[in-house]
Amino acid sequence: MEDLIVAFLRSGTPLVYVALAGVIAQRAGIWHLGLEGMMITGACATIVGIVLTQSVMVGLLSGTIFCCLLALLFWFVVEVLKANQIIAGLGLSGLGLGGTALALTAIFGSEAAVSAPAGLPRLGPAFGAFGGLSVLVAAMPLVVFACWVLLCRTRFGLRLSACGEHAFAARATGVSPGLMRLIALLLGGPLCALGGAELAAGSLQIFSVNMTAGRGFMSFAAVIFGAGHPVGATLAAFFFAFVGALGIRAQLAYGDRIPSSLLLALPYVATVIGLWISARTRGGHATTSRELGQQ
Amino acid sequence: MKAEQHTEAGVTAPALAAEAVTVRYGEVTALSAVSTRFEPGRIHAVLGQNGAGKTTFARVAAGLVPPAEGAVTVFGRRLAGGDVAEARGAGVELVHQSFALPPSFTVAEVLQFVGPKAGLFTKRGIERHWQRWLDGLGLGLDARARIRDLPIEMQQSAEIARAMVSDARLLILDEPTAVLSPKGTERLFARVRELKAQGVTIMLVLHKIREVLAIADTVTVLRGGELVAGPVEAQDLTSETLAELIIGEAAARLDASDRAALVGAGAQHQPDQGRPDAPPAVVLKGISTASNTRGNGLSEVDLTVRCGEIVGIAGVEGNGQRELVAAIAGLEPLTAGEISLADQRMETASLAARREAGLRIIPFERNVEGLSLSSPLWENWGAAQLVGGSLLASVRPRNLQRSAEAAFQAWDVVFSNTAQPAGSLSGGNAQKVILSREMDPGAKLILAAQPTRGLDIGATMAVWKALRQARGEGAGILLVSSDLDELFDICDRVAVMVSGRVVAEFAPPWDLKAVGRAMTAAGQQPALEAVP
Repeated sequence: MEDLIVAFLRSGTPLVYVALAGVIAQRAGIWHLGLEGMMITGACATIVGIVLTQSVMVGLLSGTIFCCLLALLFWFVVEVLKANQIIAGLGLSGLGLGGTALALTAIFGSEAAVSAPAGLPRLGPAFGAFGGLSVLVAAMPLVVFACWVLLCRTRFGLRLSACGEHAFAARATGVSPGLMRLIALLLGGPLCALGGAELAAGSLQIFSVNMTAGRGFMSFAAVIFGAGHPVGATLAAFFFAFVGALGIRAQLAYGDRIPSSLLLALPYVATVIGLWISARTRGGHATTSRELGQQ
Repeated sequence: MKAEQHTEAGVTAPALAAEAVTVRYGEVTALSAVSTRFEPGRIHAVLGQNGAGKTTFARVAAGLVPPAEGAVTVFGRRLAGGDVAEARGAGVELVHQSFALPPSFTVAEVLQFVGPKAGLFTKRGIERHWQRWLDGLGLGLDARARIRDLPIEMQQSAEIARAMVSDARLLILDEPTAVLSPKGTERLFARVRELKAQGVTIMLVLHKIREVLAIADTVTVLRGGELVAGPVEAQDLTSETLAELIIGEAAARLDASDRAALVGAGAQHQPDQGRPDAPPAVVLKGISTASNTRGNGLSEVDLTVRCGEIVGIAGVEGNGQRELVAAIAGLEPLTAGEISLADQRMETASLAARREAGLRIIPFERNVEGLSLSSPLWENWGAAQLVGGSLLASVRPRNLQRSAEAAFQAWDVVFSNTAQPAGSLSGGNAQKVILSREMDPGAKLILAAQPTRGLDIGATMAVWKALRQARGEGAGILLVSSDLDELFDICDRVAVMVSGRVVAEFAPPWDLKAVGRAMTAAGQQPALEAVP
């Protein structure tokens, strides 16, 4: 039982961090389909940073910087160049997936997986079976709480929501929706970097091409499933992680009878079912605002 | 309230001074060199037709729109222009026509979001704080209510409360009465007078003379983006002189009742003899629809429109007018009741079958439901010809283009060629394209939903003329409008809708007060009031 919980926390935490970035963007009126690209860039930059400098701090810092650069690029394309958000987001994801593969070749000469000499600090033996988890897992509830306070209990959060829900209402009180969206996307930078870092350096200390394998898109699904609320998105992310952990368990137990690829597809199937349920129960439009995605 | 500001000369500074303010949207000049001064502590009305530049003027004063030339001074402080925060800082607040309130917010959240405190808050804390503040204002608002659950009049109260958070000294209300019933308008005006007594300067953007004369101290008239008169003391003005100022030279050529309807001075047309023997164009018997996100849907609506008759639907917006039009068009399924179109039962018939039977629609949203803005004009016009035909029927674009061109010329549409996209036309011309498509000799029942909203005088007159002509040719017309003057000017009967029910029916001579009472009578039984 304990190892199932450990696996569950380990696979859920990266999704939560990235989903929080998506929630902040969603509230400001942006469908953040670039999460996949941001997440893998965070993972790659963290590992490469650790390999090149032997320092975990530098790794995290480089992940954050590269994610913020991508966020800035996304904002520029969407807000200044007025590109379609969905297309730009998918482009950002493609850029992250391709760009990290290119970076590996440029730095190490091949696309082979890179392993780092050090990973994120662990909780340590004092935590028993949970000692192997990274500090980012332990910090996750605090980050979720901080996001909730910021979004739901400050004037800044209300302004952000106003920008996403009714941009004119924000403009009419002297708030610039463009500026608020920039802030929202930049806040997502470090969160995506932490999500990527947890995935690559939390337990494995390795980066390989396409290692996010759709987790960024799954995080985006958690944003929608969680109705754009930080706690809702967190629960949704853990639901997807739970199904994923279950899939791996089932593969070990029934792998000889059921094709393993079918079991590995479970989280994605759960995502689709989750979205279907959330659309049914909330009528699909109760929480998504009409201005979301518009300029 | 803060102390009056004084200029260096010691004279009280005007609440608002505009110096040769010009605003352009692309190639269109919305305001040209408007100069005016509003004294503090009074109620100033800005009056004009659609497209006269009233809203633009209000937005310049509130910092939402930067002037291309000229400058605005508020209480002696010169605004750089185009900066809402700066204008709010100087004491200007604008209450928007379509309110600037995020629908999912509670009233407390709206007030917190515009308010002065930036720090952390608790839900309970802001609800308590703002409830106390609201009670002090006497607005009767619940701080915990969500905006989207509030009736439109309460939403306006919330918008006014939002504007008062920052101690506004110049409160601008942009067409505040457009969404209100006559009773709601009276309540709003009482509130405005209270604010004036507290020392707030008020600028009201209006387009009905009746309302202006009821409340304003001074009147300023705009026409075509230019200042025609003002500010003039309201007591020096009569309804007639104001009507001429608003309409301009064209006023002399208009029928007296039409002129009164255009400027909101109490229209009263001479009714023709009704046609009680004419066959019905449509009969609705107890129709109901399911509730939806906008409200409860229709509930047991009985209504008959006879051939050669214009029946008006009055009511505060959102009381089932859209559902009624959608139900007759077959776009909203019925849960009960019968619809007969030209003596054929039609409850389950498709829109194509209904059009075949003579149904024509001038929809609420001309740019969304009425036209495909990105498609060429001839396709928009020709769409009606294709309804109900065989899927394999051949379409000859050349023929359609020629017919469309002839139709547009007959309706005086200003266009360069039939291949230009519908989105390139002005509102009035776009509406004429819809009229040219929908008003054909086969029309038996015309659903006209807010057909003149946002149109200038010329286009409004064209719509009225078309509706009257269709009536003369024997079509039945159902006219939905939130403008009682329009209804009183061209309808033979007016039915009032409240919460998805028809609660009363009226016939000329019109009694504005009685119709207004019926519009605000909430929760009434569906029994009809006696027709006078």
